[in-house]
Amino acid sequence: MTGLGARCSACGADRVPDAAFCEACGMDFATSSPPPEGAITEVLPRQTHAPAVTAAAGEESPLDVGWTGPVIGGVAVEVDHPDEPTCTACGEGSYVDGYCDQCGAKQPDPRSHFTEEPAPWVAGVCDIGKRHTRNEDAMALLASAEQLGTATIVVCDGVSNTTDSHIASLAAARAARDTLSGAIPRGMGTREALVAAISQRLGEAVSSARGAVVAATPAGDAPTPPSCTFVAAVIDGTLAVVGNVGDSRGYWLPDAPTSTPVQLSHDDSFAAEQIREGVPRKEAETGPQAHAITRWLGVDSPDDLTPHTMAVDLTEPGWLLVCTDGLWNYCSEPTELRDLVTRTTASLGEHGRTPLAVATALTDFANASGGIDNITVALARVGSLTADSLPVSDPAQAEAPAPAPAQAEASVPAQAEAPVPAALSPAPPPASPDQPVNS
Amino acid sequence: MATFTSEVFQNEFLPDGGTDVHAIVRVTCSGAGQAGAAQGAEAAEIVIVDTSGSMSGNGIAQGRYAASVALNEITDGTWFAVIAGNHVGTLVYPAYGVQQMVRMDGRTRAEAIAAVQRFKADGGTAMGTWLTKAKEVFLSVPHVTQRHAILLTDGANEHETPDQLTWAIQGATGFFQADCRGLGDRWQVDEVRRIASALLGTVDLIPSPDRMAQEFAALIRASMARGVAAVDLRVWAPQGAQVLFVKQVAPHLEDITSKRSLVNPLTAAFPTGAWADESRDYHVAVRLPAKTIGQEQLASRVQVVVNNEVQTQGLVKATWSSDESLTTRIDDQVARYTGQAELAAAIQDGLAAKAAGDEDGATRKLGRAVQIATATGDEEMTSRLKKVVEIDNAETGTVRLKKAVERLDEMALDTASTKTRRIKK
Repeated sequence: MTGLGARCSACGADRVPDAAFCEACGMDFATSSPPPEGAITEVLPRQTHAPAVTAAAGEESPLDVGWTGPVIGGVAVEVDHPDEPTCTACGEGSYVDGYCDQCGAKQPDPRSHFTEEPAPWVAGVCDIGKRHTRNEDAMALLASAEQLGTATIVVCDGVSNTTDSHIASLAAARAARDTLSGAIPRGMGTREALVAAISQRLGEAVSSARGAVVAATPAGDAPTPPSCTFVAAVIDGTLAVVGNVGDSRGYWLPDAPTSTPVQLSHDDSFAAEQIREGVPRKEAETGPQAHAITRWLGVDSPDDLTPHTMAVDLTEPGWLLVCTDGLWNYCSEPTELRDLVTRTTASLGEHGRTPLAVATALTDFANASGGIDNITVALARVGSLTADSLPVSDPAQAEAPAPAPAQAEASVPAQAEAPVPAALSPAPPPASPDQPVNS
Repeated sequence: MATFTSEVFQNEFLPDGGTDVHAIVRVTCSGAGQAGAAQGAEAAEIVIVDTSGSMSGNGIAQGRYAASVALNEITDGTWFAVIAGNHVGTLVYPAYGVQQMVRMDGRTRAEAIAAVQRFKADGGTAMGTWLTKAKEVFLSVPHVTQRHAILLTDGANEHETPDQLTWAIQGATGFFQADCRGLGDRWQVDEVRRIASALLGTVDLIPSPDRMAQEFAALIRASMARGVAAVDLRVWAPQGAQVLFVKQVAPHLEDITSKRSLVNPLTAAFPTGAWADESRDYHVAVRLPAKTIGQEQLASRVQVVVNNEVQTQGLVKATWSSDESLTTRIDDQVARYTGQAELAAAIQDGLAAKAAGDEDGATRKLGRAVQIATATGDEEMTSRLKKVVEIDNAETGTVRLKKAVERLDEMALDTASTKTRRIKK
């Protein structure tokens, strides 16, 4: 690494002597103070990601200029037509014009179900569900190879009954991921500064996601232009910040039953407004207008698209879960969701700590519950990835000293629901997260 | 070079447990060229005119004239012949007793026109013998790829048994096409329709002898414009599925289901004869094993095949959905043609019942026909029906059979029943 002054403090690109702006990211060197001596200026590892399928919608965002980096680790899965010579339905025919020439079964559309596993500790499943004819959910994931290095999870839910929402949502998720893959300015190196920087970047990601939706909108006055929700989680070390617009959600679900699981997003929905007015959550979320959202990304989106953001410290074993209503329709309360995840991991045995296996199982759960909507479940695992020390249901646990709850805090705007544990006690180091609580 | 295109009209959404998929496949041909004009193609045309005793007087005079007009419309280079039909089929041109077709040119046309002036009204009617003679004559030019005949009769097939006619039709089926016309009111519509259906042609009524020439000219012109000799419709359906029916529904109704021949276990071919620059609609119905909500599959692949080469194809799909706003919709084209097919069946069954003396059955069927025609706004058919029944209430289909009905009106209603009208997309 060369001298600090020779690099852009924002993106880490080489700094041309006497340049007023960074050639790579456009950062204004005049207005941003040079990092103090000894400040953490380490740049987030750059990662590979899949190119967007829709060229028009996936074109590089002006907010993401120049940041395409070398490979550190992690793979993203391209949604592509796999070469399937034999019909998966009857096992006999081959596909002609997208259908089996024996049984007529439709060649599976890779858009209808895809998974991404950029690293062993981050994975997601995006599935059509059981009742919809098109998967308008989308996701785009990134992760460093090492656990709790960096990760980006973006999930978008295309709004039904609008044209080409499945194209728009995928373009939006990928554009947001690309924006979020840029290095986060470390500023003063404090947690506060990092939360602020990530929150700001989440706002920029919303802009690029919306830009992608607009680009995917057919010309002319479509009566129902494509639109989608937005939720993204950015993990930077033990810090996670979740930002959302619409009703797709983030949750922090610590393993320990004594720790409080929290929702890290704030629904822009009619149901959320009702909950604020005192209607019980279950009633509000199953009411006739429950899924009417009040903010979305699209040509016709509201002016204010500042994402709700919330930060949480990932200082104990648990799951960071990002999902669409296709999952939370069937399990909305953070505690219920944590119980579901606990039951799911227990039932998966040795795969119980694998994000891809758990995300798949949660998708199966949503489908088994009706699969009324498209389902997206993305998970980042904090703590052990192997199942050798799964927490067991042990009455002794109740008597054990409570593990430190995660800190979760709301920022712009303040979260109105779900009381957030304010107390922050020193958390066990993530390196040894699975010490039996009753030992 | 002819170009075929296809369009599919259907509602692909089936309710939970739904099995039957209906689609209208519209096939359009352009650039067909002239009959026999394509590389390696040759066309042959035979004019068959009824010369039975009942044609005497103005009938045979107009027959001579109409045949002459028809000969003038046959393009030079086309193989041709003229057959006079009564209780036997007789070749009157090229030459009595010589079973050899000749190519049309100035000389042969003049000779043929001279020959038809010798038509003499005499004897009975045995149309089977006319068909058999035509086949014999066509066989004199076996290399010909496109064979067509026009057949005129003015009477019932009284001088051979129905079985004899059936055998003759079977012998001609797949060998040549025939458009058939009945003159006046003494022929049997169903009898002639049987010939035309088997020989991939049309049937219609010529009410009076003076209209024959015009009709003959139109038929020959249409035949000469068919530049694509033999077109097959191939219908694929998945394993476990059943093709319920394949019907041509425009320009006229023709159930071609029974004409199927297997190409492979999942694919059947249906002959559609020669094509001009034209558009035809086919109604394909397939029964599938029901799948679960959300699943989509191919219900049928409908291909247009010429010389074993696929020219165009339409895909008929099925998607099971729980959304009633999707599954309860019936495609406009499917609905329209389904209604027209039911209308045609009601008319034909009603007239058959009336002919058999079943007044109740006839009243019921023709009442139903009035009801459908009214509901679909088919004013032409309603006015034809009015000549046969008194309508008390069109909406409920309450009718009374008219006491005195012109037989020609009944026949016109019968022959018009299979003519369908297209609706705009």
